[in-house]
Amino acid sequence: MRRFRARRRGFVARIGEAERTVFAAAAADVAQLLGAERFEDGGAQAAGEDAAALRFRTSDIEPPDDPAVRRLLPDASRDDPTVAAEFRRLTEDDVRARKVAGLATWWRALVDVDERHPDRVVVRREDARAVAAALSDVRLVLADRLGIQQEDDAERLLTELQLASPEEPLVAARLYLVSAYDALSWLQESLVLVMLEEARAAGERREPHADEG
Amino acid sequence: MSAVPVLTAPSEVAEAASDAATDDPWVTIVWNDPVNLMTYVTYVFETYFGHPQDVAHRLMLQVHQEGRAVVSTGTREAMEVDVEAMHGFGLWATLQRSGQ
Repeated sequence: MRRFRARRRGFVARIGEAERTVFAAAAADVAQLLGAERFEDGGAQAAGEDAAALRFRTSDIEPPDDPAVRRLLPDASRDDPTVAAEFRRLTEDDVRARKVAGLATWWRALVDVDERHPDRVVVRREDARAVAAALSDVRLVLADRLGIQQEDDAERLLTELQLASPEEPLVAARLYLVSAYDALSWLQESLVLVMLEEARAAGERREPHADEG
Repeated sequence: MSAVPVLTAPSEVAEAASDAATDDPWVTIVWNDPVNLMTYVTYVFETYFGHPQDVAHRLMLQVHQEGRAVVSTGTREAMEVDVEAMHGFGLWATLQRSGQ
């Protein structure tokens, strides 16, 4: 795997087939948790259409039961249930649809590869922000499933599991998740670094004296 | 390949954010989590709120070290827009009356 770099057609990383398959499945899993159809079965196509469909809810909706989904669609108030309920009623459908659309964009970048250079994953500049957010969403769900509560938990888990017996089904399953989490963290960091670099360069061109006020 | 800096999750929640503007009745608060990368949070603060680099960096560190930071102030409606955007980015954000 090679980090994202800025290229003319977008931000380009190199990701081998095995990892692309794992990352694409994880993106489809998270979208499914958010209520989307499996991307492999056409859900990625429908994702954009869902985002465009506006709904107006007149009654409250319950917060998600799954803690990982609730982390993606969190309560907007810690101490005022009325504020949280109203916020959820007004925004949840939209946030959900935009997350699914972002995950679909990331999924397509992993799946629709150039056959001559199948390990090159291209994220177009206009998609980069949604893809970076999708990477956060996937990592948040993986972290919930792994019970990650501290920033160094993932690294500790990875070390522990690499030393454990790989024949144990639970060890293998958790090693799969934590390896994906670790790789996606690294990949997201590399994507955001190039995005930040370009955003700062553009800001300097636009507002040469922006930090003087 | 690991050792990517992320926001930590200290168990103690920070003291009430002190620099909330007193004239504006509502604030948006971003809370720490163990997953989101420091770089990413800085990116969000710079590009969504338009904060200069040093301000975005300071707010990110405040979230990281103190557990939360006030990132915007304004009307309730404006804060709802900001909180919704933060949730879109995968950050954990809430709104509340200023001074609470």
